[in-house]
Amino acid sequence: MKIDFKLNGKPTSIDVDPATPLLWVVRDDLKLTATKFGCGMAMCGACTLHIDGEAVRSCSVPVETIAGKNIITLEGLSESEANLHPIQQAWMEEQVPQCGYCQSGFMMAAAKLIKENPNPTDDDIINGITNICRCGTHPRIIKAIKRAAEINNQNH
Amino acid sequence: MSTEKKSFSRRKFLQRGAIVLGGSVVASYLGCSPMRRFTAQKVESMDLPASISSLKPDFWFEILADNTILLKSPKIEMGQGVWTGLAMMAAEELEVSLDKIKVEHANTSSGLIDNVNTGGSSSTSSLYGPVREVAATMREMLKAAAAKQWNVDISAVKTENGTLSSGGKKATYGEIATSTKEWDEPKTPILKPKSAFKIIGEEVKRVDLKPKVMGTAKYTLDSELPDMLYAVLVKSPYLDATIKSVDSKEATKSTGVVKIVREGNLLAVVAKSFYAADSAAKKVIVEWNTPNKTQQADLIKLVTVGNGKEANIQKKGSAKSILEENKTEVFRQEYRTPMATHAQMEVNGAIAHVEANKVLIITGSQGPSQVRDVVAKAIDIKKDNIDVHTPLLGGGFGRKAAPGLAAEAAIISKLVGKPIKVYNSRQHEFQNGVYRPNTHHVLQAKMTKDGTIEAITHDQATPDMYVRNMVGEIGLKLLGSDFLSAGHGASLMYNVPNKSVSVWNTDVPIPISIWRAVGMFPNTFAIESFINELAHKAGKDAIDFRLDMLTDKDDKIIERSRKVLETLIEKSGWKTPKADGVGRGIAIGNDRKSIAAAAIEVEIKEGKIKVKKVTNVLDMGQIINPEGIKAQIEGCVMMGISATLYEELTVKDGQIEQAYFSQYPLATLADVPEIQSFLLEGDDVPYGVGEPPLAPIAPAIFGAVLNLTGKALRSLPLRLS
Repeated sequence: MKIDFKLNGKPTSIDVDPATPLLWVVRDDLKLTATKFGCGMAMCGACTLHIDGEAVRSCSVPVETIAGKNIITLEGLSESEANLHPIQQAWMEEQVPQCGYCQSGFMMAAAKLIKENPNPTDDDIINGITNICRCGTHPRIIKAIKRAAEINNQNH
Repeated sequence: MSTEKKSFSRRKFLQRGAIVLGGSVVASYLGCSPMRRFTAQKVESMDLPASISSLKPDFWFEILADNTILLKSPKIEMGQGVWTGLAMMAAEELEVSLDKIKVEHANTSSGLIDNVNTGGSSSTSSLYGPVREVAATMREMLKAAAAKQWNVDISAVKTENGTLSSGGKKATYGEIATSTKEWDEPKTPILKPKSAFKIIGEEVKRVDLKPKVMGTAKYTLDSELPDMLYAVLVKSPYLDATIKSVDSKEATKSTGVVKIVREGNLLAVVAKSFYAADSAAKKVIVEWNTPNKTQQADLIKLVTVGNGKEANIQKKGSAKSILEENKTEVFRQEYRTPMATHAQMEVNGAIAHVEANKVLIITGSQGPSQVRDVVAKAIDIKKDNIDVHTPLLGGGFGRKAAPGLAAEAAIISKLVGKPIKVYNSRQHEFQNGVYRPNTHHVLQAKMTKDGTIEAITHDQATPDMYVRNMVGEIGLKLLGSDFLSAGHGASLMYNVPNKSVSVWNTDVPIPISIWRAVGMFPNTFAIESFINELAHKAGKDAIDFRLDMLTDKDDKIIERSRKVLETLIEKSGWKTPKADGVGRGIAIGNDRKSIAAAAIEVEIKEGKIKVKKVTNVLDMGQIINPEGIKAQIEGCVMMGISATLYEELTVKDGQIEQAYFSQYPLATLADVPEIQSFLLEGDDVPYGVGEPPLAPIAPAIFGAVLNLTGKALRSLPLRLS
């Protein structure tokens, strides 16, 4: 089945089994590998990306449901390397990643959080983001989200 | 330092117009960690085949024409920051800025092969000498070449920021490297003294930061090969299951399926996409033989002090007879730690392309040379024909010291004749993995009237954790028990006149492995919790109680431990009044020559233990990358909280009961305490960082709960009810 949608701003067309989870279409068919496989059951958040502005766990979204929609992955979060999204700027400043594997999902979830809530408290962050990290970057994730909110507010 | 004076035999040759330099010195350094040396000696004395073969690196550093320096790391980056540490050490002696150093993993066919795995918090410390020596030698070779070209004395050539200069003459390293045909071999240069360091010890950005923030960092699953197919393994949720029968009629008809392959108990669906393979795999009907019937109670019973083979590993004075003679005065407690899994975010996976006489493997492993060995065995091909490439690891924690899926990928690729990508499901990771085994500890002490310990014993019951991999079955029998990995940290460091420690080795019908900090984690929980209980019983301050037993001024570890605890008192506000509803606890451990201590504050919220504040003091010798060390400490704090409060695997009817993240909760953002970390440089050489700060977390939380509630929770995970 042919499915049309926008991926990081670009009109995209794909012909795959309509039940295929979006994660595999993005990674294997469209070769954007920042979005990761962690559990395949929407429990860990490593595969988080944006569908029409919502942070969604793409391992559990059949590709047929995204026809006509706008998908943003980490590769499309910033306008350019010179003009990084506040979340990525803050992630660089705070040196958040260790192994890095879960970070794409965390950044996508965090980008959505600060868009909705420009001044998140610790509790807002804790309640808003349920992704899993095993390296223990959690303290820096909280710091970086607050820093990103600050950068975001300065930019506006 | 002896390593600085040591000259080394090295090979140098031209390759792609660039200097390439390696050295057999690396082999001797890599084989030099005390644990390995000890084991190697044991192996030798046992007349067994050596498990550590010699290494023959071809190249290590390379100066590229664009004036960047490529460092082919023999150690694996799994998040711990080893690439950054090595790059900093190289940049320091090469006189280049850190951004000029590009780090990659060495391939097994052409690079430096570490036959002993990345682990044991030993990468940076073991390579501190060799990396700087090779870098300094390279710098001197460049200077000599420039001096020759410019017809000046070498002493007139200066190096700064990747550039050579003399008077008005100037050239980049890349320019000299590409225009030099013959190289003079200099004497091994004298390394920079600590006072001259410009990069080592400074705050830098980790070298893999940007790719990890931009999403361009490549892990195993992110690689692909032309014409590659996907395989999904069909596994039983039961341990040790073997195939009785397979019905793959329906699966074969499934869309996109290319082939269903079986070799022995390896059963896989190969298809054009992962989804096609995964969908078809669900349609394969398998009848399994499930011989493993282990129950949780069996494991607990097996791993109990008194069961199995005892090896006494520490004895001073006559602890046992003192305890025997004063039975009524003996304080005795038992502690248990549960079975656990690594739960690293990246599942195990591999890509293999098997051709007639050539095999390419791409897999994220802590031990690429072991990967090569298992692949050679699995498809019966010479090791020299196999090239193992290692992408970045999405977490290791010991899980990727086990072979992973390279052999499976190679077998399937050979059967299908195409490149194959295969990876575990999360359920496979949980149920078909290798595990940190459960342990049991008995601690006994007799105190004097004034509340000091007169005699103390520790008995640890544990399956082996890694030694079997190093010395084999016979080796383990001869050693008596695995006091090297499982028994790591079982000894008692305190200056007590009478002490005795034994490790009881029992085999369990569960696949076991190393887990971050290895034996240090369960042993420090048991010993330091017991020390906290003794201090509590004696009515003494938990830190003062320890300081009173750290008295041997000639023992450097003891002296450094004192300093760590004294710093902890000051930095954590240990002696200041605490708020209502807060409990304080502390613990200390010495691991890989590093001393780590933590003071922890807890409170009880809605009937649950909540870690509020953690103050860490770590003496890890020479600081290489302070930010990297702090990140490792934070990681240890979070993993420590996770393992102390939540993690537990159980077995039922030969099946690991937890198959998903929802059944194996980990620490989350909600568990983040206030964290402070203080670094002490008790020596001029770097020691381990990745594991030492983990061990004190559990017993410090134990101590804080004891302090707050009076309850001693002697089994992990800690549960109030």
